Amino acid sequence: MTFDLSARTGGGTTATATKEAPPTTDTLVPALQRRLGRGKSIPFGRLLGPLVLIALWWVASAAGWLDPRKLSSPASVLTSAQELWSSGRLQDSVQTSLTRALLGLLIGVAAGVVLALASGLSRTGDAFVDGTLQVKRSIPNLALLPLLILWLGIGETMKVVVIALGVLVSVYINTHAALVSIDARYVELAEAQRLSRWQFLRKVVLPAALPGFFTGLRLAVTAAWLGLIVVEQINATSGIGYMMFQAQQYAQSGIILVGLVLYGTFGFASDALVRLVEGRVLSWRRTITA
Amino acid sequence: MAPYDHRLSGAPAAAVRISGLTRSFGDRTVLDRVDLTIGRGEFTALLGRSGSGKSTLLRAVAGLDHSTVGTGEILVPERVSLVFQDARLLPWLRILDNVVLGLPGKDARERGRVALDEVRLGNRGSAWPHELSGGEQQRAALARSLVSEPELLLADEPFGALDALTRIRMHRLLRRLYETHRPAVLLVTHDVDEAVTLADRVLVLDNGDFVQDLRIDLPAGRDPGDPRFQHYRTTLLGALGALTDHRTKEPT
Repeated sequence: MTFDLSARTGGGTTATATKEAPPTTDTLVPALQRRLGRGKSIPFGRLLGPLVLIALWWVASAAGWLDPRKLSSPASVLTSAQELWSSGRLQDSVQTSLTRALLGLLIGVAAGVVLALASGLSRTGDAFVDGTLQVKRSIPNLALLPLLILWLGIGETMKVVVIALGVLVSVYINTHAALVSIDARYVELAEAQRLSRWQFLRKVVLPAALPGFFTGLRLAVTAAWLGLIVVEQINATSGIGYMMFQAQQYAQSGIILVGLVLYGTFGFASDALVRLVEGRVLSWRRTITA
Repeated sequence: MAPYDHRLSGAPAAAVRISGLTRSFGDRTVLDRVDLTIGRGEFTALLGRSGSGKSTLLRAVAGLDHSTVGTGEILVPERVSLVFQDARLLPWLRILDNVVLGLPGKDARERGRVALDEVRLGNRGSAWPHELSGGEQQRAALARSLVSEPELLLADEPFGALDALTRIRMHRLLRRLYETHRPAVLLVTHDVDEAVTLADRVLVLDNGDFVQDLRIDLPAGRDPGDPRFQHYRTTLLGALGALTDHRTKEPT
């Protein structure tokens, strides 16, 4: 039976082989390399885009294509910055703004994490906290401003609270989502290994939620700068925003640009810092960026 | 072969005692009043086709079936360990930290190192799980399950995801670890050869109850070419309905 079968197959193969011999090829192609990743990372690659933009600006100013009353040249922006520095206004403004942003960020992150843990780890917490936060999420911070000013006045407290509220929502949403979507297999493992509730939290739940927390933190940093810019446009008497607002009244586009560059630099630097910490803390992760 | 001595209930030498265990999913009864006693230090393999309820039985013994409807009594020792089909190492813990997960005592890490040595991973304790091969990961999982010196080791097709060569090595390793630690073992598998190679007693589960309870009486270093090995193999394949066509019921 087996013999018959192989004999028939052999005959068949010979027949097809004589009829249509496959084209023989002796050219070899390189073995597959990784094509679907994103390639090697470029050192300081994320600075390239902004640097090109500044170079274009410089060239356009030097060539006289830009009206200096509308957009000052990089050189005059540097001069403005120097003047602000020697008068001490730059340092004061930066310090005021950084303090506001940092305080708001710290309070917002702490509150966001506490609320996410409360609602992610207990049904009662979930019932009370999650719905409330989802409602808060759908109200823009700007819409809350009138009420907050009515309650807290226009002082520093109001400014920090506005920033913290924006931060809180970003941190809460992402951390909570990570907490409640823990792989059921890991829960099973924790039960099989007889982990206590505390061990389960420390060894399984919190590490599993960390990637989500960092996503939230990066959004929160952006939210903090956004909140800062909003509150510094309203009845502020100090800070980078106030400095820019005054410059607008005296048509000093150089100072406005100094403010914009500062906001951009702080935003970029803080995001890079969070990424750095994230990379260190989540070194166990193997993602497509690695 | 000598008929297996079913230990009477109340006998002190039992590691697992199951009586009247029933489990259903919807209106399908997967386990129907199952009774089983596994002796202390007894290596038992549980065979069955897919859907025969062997994993359901194991999960019931492991206490991982809270959401399943059922009745019956299960008595197990204090220290029970479980090996999953996947290694199930936590990706954010290094290998040694994975091995000592939940292990009490100040000497936990030292015991973890000894356990890793036993599975020949002594130098990989500080590696991340994803840096290990599939076989190494499963060895780490074995170390994790044995470091607590369990009286009962439950394993749910632990070598199912490994290649054939690695599986043979894992068989030797598991048998060696068993000889050293002597826990009672309940190994769920669908591989008849694996069951005859490893176990001293093989149970076949079908339609909700045991249809075969076979004592494997072979010397150590079992050889699949041995005629007695072949004999056990044929018996078990017969019990599984693999040799005849009279079982037309499709596994669900």
